[in-house]
Amino acid sequence: MNKLLFLLLFILLLTVGKKRGAKTFFTFLTCMALIVIYIVFMRFGLNAIVMAFITTILASLISLFFLNGYSIKTKAAFISVMLVQIVAFILIYIVTKSASIGAFGEESLEVIAGFNYDINYNMNDVLIGMYLVSIVGTVIDTSISVSTAMNEVYENNPKLKEKELLKSGLNIGGDILSTTINTLYFALISGFIGFSMWHRGMPLEQMINYKLFVKALIQALTAFIASVLIIPVTAYITSKMLTK
Amino acid sequence: MKKINYKLVILFIISLAIIIFGFVNYSLYKTPILKVNTVVNSKLNESSKETHYSQKITGTIMNGKYKGKTLKATNRYSSSLVYDDKISKGDEIFVELSQDGSSILGITGIKRDKYLIVLAVIFVDLLILIGGKKGIKTLISLVFNVGISSLAIILYVNNYFKINLLAMYLVVSVIFIIVSLFITNGRSKKTLAAILSAICALILSFGLSFILIKLNEKRIYIWSLEYIEAIYDYSNYLYVSVLLCGLGAVMDISITISSALNELIEKNSKISKSALIKSGKIISKDIVGTMINVMLFTCYTSVIPTVILASKNSMPIIKALEFYGGLELTIVLCNCVGIVLTIPVSLFISIMILNKKKGSVE
Repeated sequence: MNKLLFLLLFILLLTVGKKRGAKTFFTFLTCMALIVIYIVFMRFGLNAIVMAFITTILASLISLFFLNGYSIKTKAAFISVMLVQIVAFILIYIVTKSASIGAFGEESLEVIAGFNYDINYNMNDVLIGMYLVSIVGTVIDTSISVSTAMNEVYENNPKLKEKELLKSGLNIGGDILSTTINTLYFALISGFIGFSMWHRGMPLEQMINYKLFVKALIQALTAFIASVLIIPVTAYITSKMLTK
Repeated sequence: MKKINYKLVILFIISLAIIIFGFVNYSLYKTPILKVNTVVNSKLNESSKETHYSQKITGTIMNGKYKGKTLKATNRYSSSLVYDDKISKGDEIFVELSQDGSSILGITGIKRDKYLIVLAVIFVDLLILIGGKKGIKTLISLVFNVGISSLAIILYVNNYFKINLLAMYLVVSVIFIIVSLFITNGRSKKTLAAILSAICALILSFGLSFILIKLNEKRIYIWSLEYIEAIYDYSNYLYVSVLLCGLGAVMDISITISSALNELIEKNSKISKSALIKSGKIISKDIVGTMINVMLFTCYTSVIPTVILASKNSMPIIKALEFYGGLELTIVLCNCVGIVLTIPVSLFISIMILNKKKGSVE
């Protein structure tokens, strides 16, 4: 079934985008492969957080420079993505460690039944890495949107000063803010539906402290924060690099 | 002298107050909370693979009848933290007290609400500081969406057998589309075009996914879906997951295309249909690539912990990925297909609606 869907996606991308479509499909496959390789490395005991950083760097390189070409705007986007990933990591690390979030709760007992829990691999770190990798898609998306639009503005009006360009970058960022948050919200919501059905009638005070609820909400909120934070960072760096 | 930005100061004070509230809201809880003062860890066994720890915890009760009392508790965890919680000094934990409050019968959970509050405050502050009015609109739309989602869930769980889960979410999705696009873009032809495009694209792409999944139903291992055991109507739950996952992305593409075409038509009212299609295609090519990657990274990564646990238990990785990640991949791919399909649908409907406006004016 998934093979069929891959094929369908490839054909559709090719029809809509021709050469660019093929490139898009190739990027998608590479990112998919990166996630799988990331899992394989963790399987063999490499540090989950370090591997997550390497995965996000490679994913950014591919989706920025291969898909969108090597130029000032993609360079600026790359630097911005890296900066925001580092800030997001610090936030994720502090919150995940102090909230003591593990990987599974009683809900998953059926799924993980029969497995030995003594795997000698820290699941808290796996979670931190997972959060880090899960936000990179939206961070790249927002960053390249802002820097491309700013590049367009600058090309049409090369006399613009750094400050004016920064202002227009923030303006552009404001326009895509709501759709970005919306996209993330729906991408993450279905887990909450399942959660609410499982815990029908769970009091609110219990829910907002509950391991899996907090785990899902940390993912959503850090993704939101990163996709907002990337806007001023990209606007600032792009305006600096373009007017240099 | 620099003028003090009062709005900024007010925002800062409110944020700080909310965060402090998150750290001291003990009295709102009925369950007794123990603030951990000391933790003594001792190793239980030291197998070559994994270390198990026993924790002796001393802490102070922070709320209720026995506030201020110092009590002892014990906890166990293993270094992999697959299922259990590690408790550290300074943590606050929910406990079950004995009738007379003299001892702790068990630990029921860790108090984690404060971390959510900190993250939520950071998010809202950034939204307001960076987005300004647009940020506030985004926040309103988000609150609306959360409200609608919660209402739908409450409605469903209270009428478990009377409502068809999928039918309900199809209606709710249309409401989501109308409300979100309306709040953030206001009343205009552009918004109307985006709403109609999003609804049509959703019907088309969901219809396709529905047929494809239905045809392959027997080959799908549905039990790898999170929480699936709690759901009476499990096959419809899968369809709802497919339906909702890409909904935001579909809206995103619809509004991007309709705004861009609207801009082009306003700047040059004589622009030809083929020129519009051409520009529309260029714009959409740019957004579709990163958008399908957003789907991949945001949704597919959730399978990582289970796949790791399974493969660490000597299940081959390929098999673990297929078994525990196959369905999630299907959901992601269905939505990627839907995202690409949205482009022609959006182009067609936007041109039809936006060009009509031009015709009626002339």
